[in-house]
Amino acid sequence: MLWRIAWRNLWRNRGRTLIMMSAVALTYALMLVSMGVGDDSHDRMLDEAIRAAGGDVIVHGDGYWASRASDLVIENAETVLATIRSTPNVQATFPRIIVNGLVATSASARPVLLFGVDRDAELQLNDILPDVSRGTFLEGGRDDPIVLGSRLVEKLEAEIGDRVVLTASRPDGELTRALFHLSGVLHTGARELDEVLGYTTLDAAGGAVGMEGRLTQIGVLSAGNADGQAIAQDIQAALGSASAGIEVLSWEDAVPEMVGYIELDNAFGYIYLGVIFLVVLFSITNTFLMAVMERVRELGLLSALGLRGARIGRLLLSETLLMTAMALGIGFAIGLGANLAIARWGIPVSAWGLEDIEVSGIDMSDMVIRSSIRPLKWTIASALVAVTTIASAVYPAYRASRLAPAEAMRFYE
Amino acid sequence: MMDEAMESKSRTGQESVGTSVADRPLVRVRGVTRTYRQGVLDVHALRGIDLDIYDGEFMALVGPSGSGKTTLLNVIGALDEPDSGTVQVAGEDITKLTKGDAADFRLDHVGFVFQAYNLVPVLTAFENAEFTLLLRGKNVEERRQAVMPLLERVGLGEMVDRKPHELSGGQQQRVAIVRALATKPRLLLADEPTANLDSATSDDLMDLMQQLNDELQTTFVFSTHDPVVIDRARRVVRLLDGRVDDDDGARGR
Repeated sequence: MLWRIAWRNLWRNRGRTLIMMSAVALTYALMLVSMGVGDDSHDRMLDEAIRAAGGDVIVHGDGYWASRASDLVIENAETVLATIRSTPNVQATFPRIIVNGLVATSASARPVLLFGVDRDAELQLNDILPDVSRGTFLEGGRDDPIVLGSRLVEKLEAEIGDRVVLTASRPDGELTRALFHLSGVLHTGARELDEVLGYTTLDAAGGAVGMEGRLTQIGVLSAGNADGQAIAQDIQAALGSASAGIEVLSWEDAVPEMVGYIELDNAFGYIYLGVIFLVVLFSITNTFLMAVMERVRELGLLSALGLRGARIGRLLLSETLLMTAMALGIGFAIGLGANLAIARWGIPVSAWGLEDIEVSGIDMSDMVIRSSIRPLKWTIASALVAVTTIASAVYPAYRASRLAPAEAMRFYE
Repeated sequence: MMDEAMESKSRTGQESVGTSVADRPLVRVRGVTRTYRQGVLDVHALRGIDLDIYDGEFMALVGPSGSGKTTLLNVIGALDEPDSGTVQVAGEDITKLTKGDAADFRLDHVGFVFQAYNLVPVLTAFENAEFTLLLRGKNVEERRQAVMPLLERVGLGEMVDRKPHELSGGQQQRVAIVRALATKPRLLLADEPTANLDSATSDDLMDLMQQLNDELQTTFVFSTHDPVVIDRARRVVRLLDGRVDDDDGARGR
């Protein structure tokens, strides 16, 4: 009977109940969407950070990451690579020779950050192929291919197949020149990258700057969700005495700004959710308190007829419970639908006219906002909304349970 | 303990049908005072009431506004606590009850009919009438058997599915009386039950209450201003300024 009264009471003031229900449902749906999008962009930021760093873990000649000096190289590359590959939780390795130099054509000369990479390995970490706007990415038999950023190519006034001369210093400090042929153009969408970025094969880069058998960097991808810092320590330990002259960095060590940014993003997310919770809490408390004050006489009647205070309180809570259950049901349907739609079709950041988004030098502008649903987090958040909503009715219910019947019955007299 | 007292009293009551009421009063009020704070003023609603009410009485509490009629009914029905004095119902001091026990006491032993706003607006006539039985945990069939004959008896057999706003004032009061009687209480308290009714409807309602008093031996205590109603009472207790001013003492029927 209490449930029946609660249910009918809920629809006595249909407008108010619908407004209150929509407020909870939409707030909840909005929270689910922002959680889905937030988690996904969080994952993407992590991916971007890891990609920008060059792996979950990166290995260099000691001091290279801070100085980017061309003489700090990994000397016995084969041994180090083999050791890293045999370390537990290492899924893949990316040997790289990184050259800071100058590329020139007959028209112009520009600075370049050239990565000599193992093409197939590199593509596992970094999906470069969609950015190739012309030519190919280090495919085919040429032994001196070079792929350059689109703006760089523009400034060099080069065409596919044109000769490009690289000038750079060898690890021993000697300047050297090498001839490449432009085989592809990259358009990443990030101005800075498109102006300086270049790729070639590991062999071509090694030959050009005299680094055969040596490497600038080894990127490491961990298996599954393995902790980068733990793997960094494992690699350090595995290298043993061979680790002299070598630095092993987790991506968090490598791009600390990014770690800070992600933490800040998380904090803002929690503050946002906190504000939403408070708004819901106060608005519902207020509405239910109004509902109690409107019905003092009636609640007094129930008490006079012998309904104990606790049961009167429970009646009010039942109304909230019913309202919450419906609101959360509707909100969940809207939230899940919106998340699935965003996950399926995505929202391109560029559609908002946001072209150059960069966080600590990491390009985010080609991001398409998608959604990622984490059942456990959703369950916890939904439970929190339910508890908050019901908690907001506790005070009004308490007030109702404390009504003295004689006074309540006199209320309108 | 109270239940036992009620039971034994109830048996006594049944044995004494048709005879004069038992010597031991159903309600014994002694030295009851009650003062309200209204704004900055203290309102002395009851200033030392002594009153005995016996099983099967049909009694009117009369007096001008502010004489303490409603307060006295509230105190007898455990809706309000006196500041001093004792109220015994069936031998049990109800002024010592906790709030929860007072609610149980009302549910188990007292029927109430108020002047207005008597019914739960979202429930139908039948649901309102069966409400107290439901609180006592009676099943559907028991509730139907207890309530339907009474609803028919008061002429509402065809209107059981109507909500209060679909009933006239007199019909609403009838539903309230059915609800009050459904649990077969020994005591029915009615606070100005005819105040919002026209004289013909008031007359009907009084007929009904009187007949039920005769048929069920339920003790009726009602407050009223209405001279027609006062004429129908078998005992009239007049209150003035929170004291019993006059009691015609006509006990029982």
